[in-house]
Amino acid sequence: MKMSERRSITGALAAATCTLLGTSSPEPVQAQEEPGWDFNTALLYYGEDNDRVQDLSLNVLARRTFTDDRFLTLGLTFDTLTGATPNGALPQSVPQTFTQPSGRRTYTTAPGDFPIDDTFRDSRVALTAAWQQPLGRLSTINLGLSASGEFDYTHLGLNAKISRDFNNRNTTLSAGLAFAMDDLDPVGGTPIGLTPMRNADNDDDDDEGGNRGPTESKDILDFVFGVTQVISRNLLMQVNYSYSDSSGYLSDPYKILSAVDAVTGDVVPITQMPGIDGPSHLNYYELRPDSRRKHSLYTQAKYYMDGKVLDASYRYMTDDWEIDSHTLELRFRWPLSDSRYLEPHLRFYTQSAAEFYRPSLIDGDPLPEYASADYRLGDFDAITAGMKYGWKTGGGNDVSVRLELYKQSGNVSSSQLIGNQLNRDSYPDLNAIIFQFAYRFGM
Amino acid sequence: MRHGMLTAGLILLGTISGCSSMGVEPWERDILAKEEMQLTTDPIEATTDDHIYFSKEASSGGRGFGGGGCGCN
Amino acid sequence: MATDRPERKISVESGDGFWRGQFLAMASPCEVLCETDAAEEARRLTELAAAEAWRIEDKFSRYQQGNIVDRINEAAGAAVEVDTETSQLIDFSVTLYELSAGRFDITSGVLRRAWRFDGSGNFPSAALIEKVMRDVGWDQVTWEAPVLQMRPGMQIDFGGIGKEYAVDRAAMLVRQASRASCLLNFGGDLVAIRPPRNQETWKVGVETVDASSSNAEKLLNLAVGALATSGDARRYLVNNGIRYSHILDPKTGWPVSDAPRSITVAADTCTQAGMLSTLAMLEGARAEAFLDAQQVRYWCNRGVTGPAAEAAKIA
Repeated sequence: MKMSERRSITGALAAATCTLLGTSSPEPVQAQEEPGWDFNTALLYYGEDNDRVQDLSLNVLARRTFTDDRFLTLGLTFDTLTGATPNGALPQSVPQTFTQPSGRRTYTTAPGDFPIDDTFRDSRVALTAAWQQPLGRLSTINLGLSASGEFDYTHLGLNAKISRDFNNRNTTLSAGLAFAMDDLDPVGGTPIGLTPMRNADNDDDDDEGGNRGPTESKDILDFVFGVTQVISRNLLMQVNYSYSDSSGYLSDPYKILSAVDAVTGDVVPITQMPGIDGPSHLNYYELRPDSRRKHSLYTQAKYYMDGKVLDASYRYMTDDWEIDSHTLELRFRWPLSDSRYLEPHLRFYTQSAAEFYRPSLIDGDPLPEYASADYRLGDFDAITAGMKYGWKTGGGNDVSVRLELYKQSGNVSSSQLIGNQLNRDSYPDLNAIIFQFAYRFGM
Repeated sequence: MRHGMLTAGLILLGTISGCSSMGVEPWERDILAKEEMQLTTDPIEATTDDHIYFSKEASSGGRGFGGGGCGCN
Repeated sequence: MATDRPERKISVESGDGFWRGQFLAMASPCEVLCETDAAEEARRLTELAAAEAWRIEDKFSRYQQGNIVDRINEAAGAAVEVDTETSQLIDFSVTLYELSAGRFDITSGVLRRAWRFDGSGNFPSAALIEKVMRDVGWDQVTWEAPVLQMRPGMQIDFGGIGKEYAVDRAAMLVRQASRASCLLNFGGDLVAIRPPRNQETWKVGVETVDASSSNAEKLLNLAVGALATSGDARRYLVNNGIRYSHILDPKTGWPVSDAPRSITVAADTCTQAGMLSTLAMLEGARAEAFLDAQQVRYWCNRGVTGPAAEAAKIA
């Protein structure tokens, strides 16, 4: 018979101690861990091939533990982005010239290349703050603030989440709400969707007017409902349903579509007046609907087997832009010793195209209600494969390095391609590497 | 399509929460208490990955809130 | 047997905002931290605590001739009548024997005849353990308070509760004698009498390795109440790759395997804290599970290279 059978001896021991010491009721013990800081820091490099986007990101997450299970978490992220990103126009057998988003200069793409806007350069600072504390014996509340700034974008968000334990703390139900107010102030003003790309004016004045609008904004409302369930001593599961409602200016101000000939599928040249610097071909700024409703179902399982941990998650997302996506993620933590581990990671992602996604617009046809050639709204598959190696330092701090490869490959339906487009690349495939160094320490 | 998914989601939630025989006693939490058994083992990795995929794909959120915060999409 | 007893003296020195009184008792360094302006008062309280510690040591140490424990152990089968305090300690031990289903047993001290914990792999023979085990078992003792009778060869030993009992007793006397905030520390068994005025809590370092922290040492804030620690990382035996603690299981005669290196428990009294940490040690791999069921605050140190993963597997 094990004495750790399901009974407590606390009461009997207290009574026996009172008899022994002759005290009726000693003062209840008050012992708590000294509040302290726990720092998670990381340096991330994200780099795409073909001189596309490079991002260097510094992250710090500081968590202060207070008595009575209260926590303050502060986060700081600093990103610097450089490189180029596809502008949405199709590659051609002739050079193409485009106006920079600033409207000041033009840039030219070589024949056969995907037109990329190489003026892409940004830095971003993001701050988060969250307070967590118990509400009674079984509930926890979490309140958070987030803010971020880029030179053309600002974000302000609030969130709240409440969770409650049931069934001997084996089941946790949670409900969360987040609201974000984001403002866009694109370089050179916000383009009006489905109007032709403007000429460059070669001056350095900020001009709004013509087909440029003022600053725009969008609001995002998110709800998350979750259940976390302990299945057994070594299996834990979570299921979340989330709903997200975005409204406002949801287009990408820097993305365009090529206007093409209805038969050849080639871009339509523009004859520029002498002395005018502008696009060589007809392009339109993209236009997306001003609202988007997304639903997603996320499920995650953690399974412990003999020291190793399998972490598997799956997410299904669907929205009223007719994008459906499936994401499957697997991580396997494999201890090499008491203080070192390896963690391979695989992620599979597939999405269908938005209903208004199209590689190009046909010159002469009436303009559609909405259109975007942004590759991220197309039909594509992506795979991430990576490896993390982590170890504990002599001082008890955690260090890890991870290297991952991310590959996107898209396919544009042949029914959406015209004439010569069938013989050319229509989707800008992406290869990127992710390298992260993380250090965790306490104070 | 969307309603079908919603219903499926709610049924799954109902099944899981209704099953009170699942789970462990408080003194059987030794494994679940391990750092590597937490749902989010590495909060920074989770944040940076969410950010990368948010800016490169049309989906976001799921694990937590998915909305906004970046001009990258 | 008491010839090498250290000299009994106390010293009092000024600390950082308090007075620190020190003395040796029960083979452990003991200290009394007093938050008072008067050195005189600190000395008086330290003397009070030391006197009680020495009184209990003299009365219950198995190393001292002529005391009640010695008389019981040397009775050679005769019945011995004991005083009220001894009777209460025996009653308490009987309760613990019952609560632990026989794993806390004051007759188990004779197992030391077989086991030596010097970090070596020297194991006693099974025959020797079997022979010694014949003299272990409270169920062989006749106890009808205040009279105790046991077979010749059997012994009792209050070593498992003596220090905790002493610090609780000393704390009671100090609490009655002064309004000062004091912390008593008898070799790692602590009682805080009132929180210190100038810093809210007493700060106590505890060695721990757990999931929620990246640091091996935690600083605890003890306002009032007691902390007791069982286990000693330096005293162990290794055989066939299994690390045995110096905690002996009176039911088997063998050391407990896969026990944490040390366990610290917080409770209202040091006696309670000490009993819970001792009983948890006896649970070996299931120590944490046992403490979880008791709903007390505890800190287990299984060490960075300790058998934590294996323990979970065996459990």
